[in-house]
Amino acid sequence: MARVYNWQLGRDMSYWYPEKRPQRQFAAVFDTNKCIACQTCTLACKTTWTSGKGQEYMLWNNVESKPYGSYPLAYDVRLLEQLDGQRWEGSRYAGRTIFEAAPAGERVLGWRPEQQDYSYPNVGEDDCAGQVDHGALIQVPHLSWFFYLARICNHCTYPACLAACPRGSIYKRQEDGIVLVDQGRCRGYQECVRGCPYKKVFFNPMTGTSEKCIACFPKIEQGVQPQCFVNCIGKIRLAGFLSAADQAKAENPIDYLVHLRKVALPLFPQFGLEPNVYYIPPIHAPLAFNEQLFGPGAGAAMAAYRGAPADRDLAGLLCLFGSTPSLVARWRRRGDLVSGLDEKASEIVRVPLLEPVHVRPAVDPTRQVVRTNCP
Amino acid sequence: MRARRQLLAASVLTAASLAAACAKPPAPVQEVVAVRTAVLPAAPDEAVWNAAPEHVAKMIPQDLVEPRLLAPSTAEVRIRALTNGETVAFRLNWADTTKSDTPGPAQMVDACAVQIPQQNGPQPPAPQMGEIGRPVDVVYWRADWQAIVNGRGDSIRDLYPNAYVDPYPFNARPLVPGSPEQADMARRYAPARALDNNRSGPRTAPVEELVAQGPGTSEPAAPRGSTGRGIWAAGSWMVVIARPWPQDVRDGQRTSVAFAVWQGSQHEAGARKMRTGWIPLLAGGAR
Repeated sequence: MARVYNWQLGRDMSYWYPEKRPQRQFAAVFDTNKCIACQTCTLACKTTWTSGKGQEYMLWNNVESKPYGSYPLAYDVRLLEQLDGQRWEGSRYAGRTIFEAAPAGERVLGWRPEQQDYSYPNVGEDDCAGQVDHGALIQVPHLSWFFYLARICNHCTYPACLAACPRGSIYKRQEDGIVLVDQGRCRGYQECVRGCPYKKVFFNPMTGTSEKCIACFPKIEQGVQPQCFVNCIGKIRLAGFLSAADQAKAENPIDYLVHLRKVALPLFPQFGLEPNVYYIPPIHAPLAFNEQLFGPGAGAAMAAYRGAPADRDLAGLLCLFGSTPSLVARWRRRGDLVSGLDEKASEIVRVPLLEPVHVRPAVDPTRQVVRTNCP
Repeated sequence: MRARRQLLAASVLTAASLAAACAKPPAPVQEVVAVRTAVLPAAPDEAVWNAAPEHVAKMIPQDLVEPRLLAPSTAEVRIRALTNGETVAFRLNWADTTKSDTPGPAQMVDACAVQIPQQNGPQPPAPQMGEIGRPVDVVYWRADWQAIVNGRGDSIRDLYPNAYVDPYPFNARPLVPGSPEQADMARRYAPARALDNNRSGPRTAPVEELVAQGPGTSEPAAPRGSTGRGIWAAGSWMVVIARPWPQDVRDGQRTSVAFAVWQGSQHEAGARKMRTGWIPLLAGGAR
């Protein structure tokens, strides 16, 4: 194993291959607070990429209700149980990653879902964390809570699927950091399925090879965001490229949210893969739960998000989510207007910080009638 | 009179076959002896296999490269070999109480392989898939491919009989069922097939020919006409793998051969396998 630097852990760690970062890294920010679990992203992906034979059960994109939802079944809990002692010392991870905890003879600490584990994609859907008893009143913080977690492949900097493949059939593209399974070389050993802690590689029994999210790379190459992004009803997603932590640029929307404001956090950073989909934590979920999912920065991220109404830059950038199908390379706010720019600094979209509000009186004084909202 | 002659000839042939079948098999040998025969058997249960002495090869887990197989499974594989001078056929026989021939998530399939150095010499390459610059030829057989060759269909319902499947895009109008346009569209929805990955089917043979220069390096080999056929019965597999006789090995000479077995029920696939070391392979042993 080689020694590599993982900025999400604040330390070096062991990895199967030496550190080799791509020229730029595809990355995304998902705002969990805006997701309504309509699954439009899931269907957009499904109809685009996985409607072939042997792909019936595959969900390269899925949305699960936390705390109980998971696809495949209990993918997260199964690994968390094996990876005990996930201790943080401030922002430095003091526990072991799945590479450092790999048993003898293995490349990563992993497990292999059985067929039944893929049979309940909506398990736990809309289930609250606690019982809502008769007569229960809403309290703050909520006693009962849940939230929606949309998931795709994290196109990790240190992919476990890539490390686990014994024949090098998985590669990370130098030009954009997208992780792909070479469908010409894969021999279907399912080591990647076993190794990926997020279980975002799927075995196709009809072709005998494993397949995964490709970040819609043909669209990325054209400067367009992936299908699950542009079809998102709740406008929770923004795709782009993430700079190295020490080279963050405020004009880069992903850098701004991840590196500078630290309002968007990786999913299960303690696994050690340096995943590149970043989540704005749900502000109504308990801090302890958010810290387990998103690391020790969850509390500060929740506070920053709560402060967004008084934070015109942060609020402004959040308005750009879902505002354009194009990749937004830069952004700027001028007064109450926020612009998204392409790589040549040409404006591709402009949105108001606050949508104009029109209040229609309940009574029409001219006609002397009461308006109703009923159709 | 003519009918009588035919009956007599048939009787002589039957008697000869019975004699061959009932003859006491040669004693086990310490190497694999490829016995000369005029016609090679296609099936693993033909009596002519009894003419070849059996070599019992002890198997060891693949524990040199990660991921390793840490729990031994198949203890031994029983080998017989026949050759007609152009082709050599191996019969591999190993105990496996579970027939695993249906692939799926976490569903591995039974398989076996025969490996011979591409170039014969006093020092064969590393027994584990050869080494760089010293390749090995591998013929790999799989139980699910055998099921397909035996008639299993190419649909998800052939794997999951109760599955309900929405219409596939390549079955939609205006594509005409069975047309080249429809077949082309179906390939686009099966990425590995679109890239002509040998693994991805649909298949006409239960074997795949590979060349390797070390662990994790196996690549499709130029077609050599290898064949295979496997039968599972009474808790064991009998698999015939036939491939061209190595051209640089003449009668009475030796080369090396190695074998590998995967048990699907033990989640064995790829590097997680039981294997042998190199075993001497004697060409054209007397029958």
